[in-house]
Amino acid sequence: MPKFFAAILILTLALMVPLKAQAPVTSIFPFDYKIDVLDNGLRVVTIPLNNPNIISYYMVVRSGSRNEVEPGKSGFAHFFEHMMFKGTKTMPRPAYDDYLTRLGAGTNGYTNDDYTCYFVVFAGRNNIEEVVRTEADRFINLYYDEKMIKTEAPVIEGEYYTAVSDPDEKMYETVRDTAFEKHSYKHTVIGYLKDIQDMPNQYEYSLLYKKRFYAPDNCLLLVAGDFDRAQLLDLVKKYYAPWQKSGYVLQTPTEPPQTKAKRVHVPWPSQTLPRLTMAYHGPAYSDEKIDKAALDLLAMMAFAPSSALYQRLVVEEQKCTALRADFGDTRDPSLLAIQAILKSDQDLPYVEGEVKKELERLKTELLPADKLAEVKSNFKYSFAAGLDTTDGVAGTLAFYLNLAADPGTVNKLFGLYDRTTPEDIRAMAQKYFVETNSTVVTLTGGSK
Amino acid sequence: MKRQRSMTMITLLALGLALAAGACAQKAETPALTTELLPVAGNPLVNLRVVLRVGSANDPAGKEGLAALTFSLLAEGGTKDLTFKQIQEKFFPLAAYVGLSVDKEMSVFFGTIHKDNLDKYYALFRDMLLNPGFREEDFNRLKTDQLNFLEKTLVNDLDEELGKEVLNLALYEGHPYGHTEYGTAESVASLTLADVKDFYAKQFLQGNIILGLAGGYPEEFTAKFKADFEKLPQGATPKLVLPAPKPPQGLEFVLVEKQTPATAISMGFPVALGRAEKDFFALWIAGAHFGEHRQHLSHLFQVIREARGQNYGDYAYIEYFSQGRDKFPGMNYDRQQQYFSIWIRPLLNSNRHFVIRQALRELRRLVEEGIPEDRFELVKNYLLNYTKLYAQTLGERLGWQIDSHYYGYDDFLAEAQKRLAAVTRDEVNAAIKKYLSWQNVRIAVITQDAQTLKDDLVSNTPSKIKYANPNMPQSVLDEDLLIQVYALDVKPESVRIAPATSFFKKAGLPQE
Repeated sequence: MPKFFAAILILTLALMVPLKAQAPVTSIFPFDYKIDVLDNGLRVVTIPLNNPNIISYYMVVRSGSRNEVEPGKSGFAHFFEHMMFKGTKTMPRPAYDDYLTRLGAGTNGYTNDDYTCYFVVFAGRNNIEEVVRTEADRFINLYYDEKMIKTEAPVIEGEYYTAVSDPDEKMYETVRDTAFEKHSYKHTVIGYLKDIQDMPNQYEYSLLYKKRFYAPDNCLLLVAGDFDRAQLLDLVKKYYAPWQKSGYVLQTPTEPPQTKAKRVHVPWPSQTLPRLTMAYHGPAYSDEKIDKAALDLLAMMAFAPSSALYQRLVVEEQKCTALRADFGDTRDPSLLAIQAILKSDQDLPYVEGEVKKELERLKTELLPADKLAEVKSNFKYSFAAGLDTTDGVAGTLAFYLNLAADPGTVNKLFGLYDRTTPEDIRAMAQKYFVETNSTVVTLTGGSK
Repeated sequence: MKRQRSMTMITLLALGLALAAGACAQKAETPALTTELLPVAGNPLVNLRVVLRVGSANDPAGKEGLAALTFSLLAEGGTKDLTFKQIQEKFFPLAAYVGLSVDKEMSVFFGTIHKDNLDKYYALFRDMLLNPGFREEDFNRLKTDQLNFLEKTLVNDLDEELGKEVLNLALYEGHPYGHTEYGTAESVASLTLADVKDFYAKQFLQGNIILGLAGGYPEEFTAKFKADFEKLPQGATPKLVLPAPKPPQGLEFVLVEKQTPATAISMGFPVALGRAEKDFFALWIAGAHFGEHRQHLSHLFQVIREARGQNYGDYAYIEYFSQGRDKFPGMNYDRQQQYFSIWIRPLLNSNRHFVIRQALRELRRLVEEGIPEDRFELVKNYLLNYTKLYAQTLGERLGWQIDSHYYGYDDFLAEAQKRLAAVTRDEVNAAIKKYLSWQNVRIAVITQDAQTLKDDLVSNTPSKIKYANPNMPQSVLDEDLLIQVYALDVKPESVRIAPATSFFKKAGLPQE
């Protein structure tokens, strides 16, 4: 066993709660967890932790921008997230706000490609019942009228404008819109501006959206922190029992294979640093198939700050201020994106050429085994670094629960990393980094 | 914008195990170095923080940005023995790095590491700070990054940050706080490697340094850590004697012209109140009521976003605020002087005049009417609970410990539990009257067609707005009638207009 594996093993052991663990002691996810499924299909994941007084209460709704498959509905998952804070008939918005204020909770929601997550982080076991009751109430009995939709919709436009001056946001929007033809990953999470501006008129659709996706068979409740598991489960069963199943099955459009290279240039109205993104259609998240795990390792080896290419382009030649690979984990196949921020417009062809050369090299050469071992070590320490608070545990796990509905997926994923060989990585480079599968987007605003 | 990376920390259980083991904060001092220790037995992690009581306010005149460049050359450059590339290669398998934040009077180098890797990590951390390589290529790279940030990113890509930085320029003209931590394009362009070496030699003195250590470090490590930094020259930079910032005379606007569909607004004024003073706790309650950062609790959020859907959020602060983990305040941004501010997030250009009126009218109501009775207890209880979430990670606990001592407390957050609980509504209202003003405010506006806004402001043009909702509540519409004609006393000479690209070229606000 390499030295760093021994180190991480010690680390996970040290972090482990002295309770009967469901996972083996060598797991990357070291905490005792339990999954219970209510009669209505709601999966409840509980992770008691030995940190006094703080509890993280998360609801993962497996609906994100991926679910926006109908024309004109881009951004709807995020919009609905806003509507989830409107209260119920028994606890209207002002009362809901007062409850959160009294609780002094850290609370919010967020939406991404595949899921929407709501969290309440609070102090005090004595507050648990109120939190369970109130959160169950808003998921089961959410109430708003058409007027409230019309007032909230412009807030989304305001949120869109918080990033309107940011060229990275424009790159993100353009890369997706160009690379995808059919799949709902074509649009960003916040959606197209024209769809956002039509949201005030979407009251009826919002009711349909709630019925389809805000149902126990499409949600996971995740609680981490200082609580008694049996007591919590009793409360959850009591308050979430009336929640009705949906049974709705989403059909996401299948993205057809890309058959020719795509390229778009974005002129930017003000002077900014030039941007380059080279994106390739990649695989979906999997804890069984080697593809995505191998590509994750490749991304770090080839483009992390310690990589040869980064060192050359950023540190030595100083052509770029940033270089990174963004190979996100998603439920459906998404993009493998390599992103660079340059210093001069004139260097765009050079940097693009160097990235291409690196990808070609990865198709032919085997990466050194010792370097691969370092990446695996980095992954383990990075992952463990995210588990430093109840919120870190819950937030990290919410992401994986969205993908696979079981915390065990994390251990399976890291098992895949352990098994990945330099040959696997080379094979994946050959499979995915193909010219006809590429989308290149550049942006310039006059940087000489 | 602060150059702060998210902290790498691994301990969740750490916290719990530590508390269970009865860990307690300890403070030890030497005549030169100050040491802040937070041993947490059983914790697998170690958090290191090297705090320098030096920041951008210590930049020599004409060399603004020198502190930031010098310190970034330590955190992102090579040592005498290793290139930056070699350091990154060594950090990589540990998922480690040295983080940096630079503020006006305080700068922090920090990192967290598993205790098994402490020696390996610390050897690099120490050499980066104590044996810097000061290589020309690192200097050129980081200087170019700093210039690009000032000339391109800040003025073009980040309107909300731009608004906050322009407000800072307006609040502190001719004052040591009166430039961004990154300096000006002119000053940074003139910086040399010799300047950096000289600044390092003058500022890396024992008396300027607080060594912070938290977690499960071995006992003997403390002595080694101290001994290494005690090799630095003795002495300390004299504490800055800051002039009082010039108070605003009426409503003073800086309109920043740029092509944009949305207007970003920041406003505020200097406040002579800090955490060390009793009134701070009373004003804290007022600030949380009026504009708690990114919480529904914020009154401004309620009336601007929730009732009217104008934008994404609206907040207020009674001291400089830098967001740390999640939405909690960051640590180690301690300053001798503070300011009150309001942050209005971007909204449609067509509604800018209305919202400026609305925010200033709400500020007036706060000053004249105080905190409503029903809100007082609610907000107080909120703070009593919410502040329990502030210090969860090792780095947070150590950072708050350092801040506590800076402001003269043993434990500021524990003190807050007592002090906040004892504050009365009358004290809150007295503090509001004493420290806040609705008449004298500086306002930075990032917008398009600034001249029209100036004309509207000066002539008090009615600012009617349209809503997507045709059935807005009558109470909102009734109040809108008052807001849209709410008179602001804006004198033409108190409104400056300048293009975005003219900012940060030289010290101070650009001339029209």
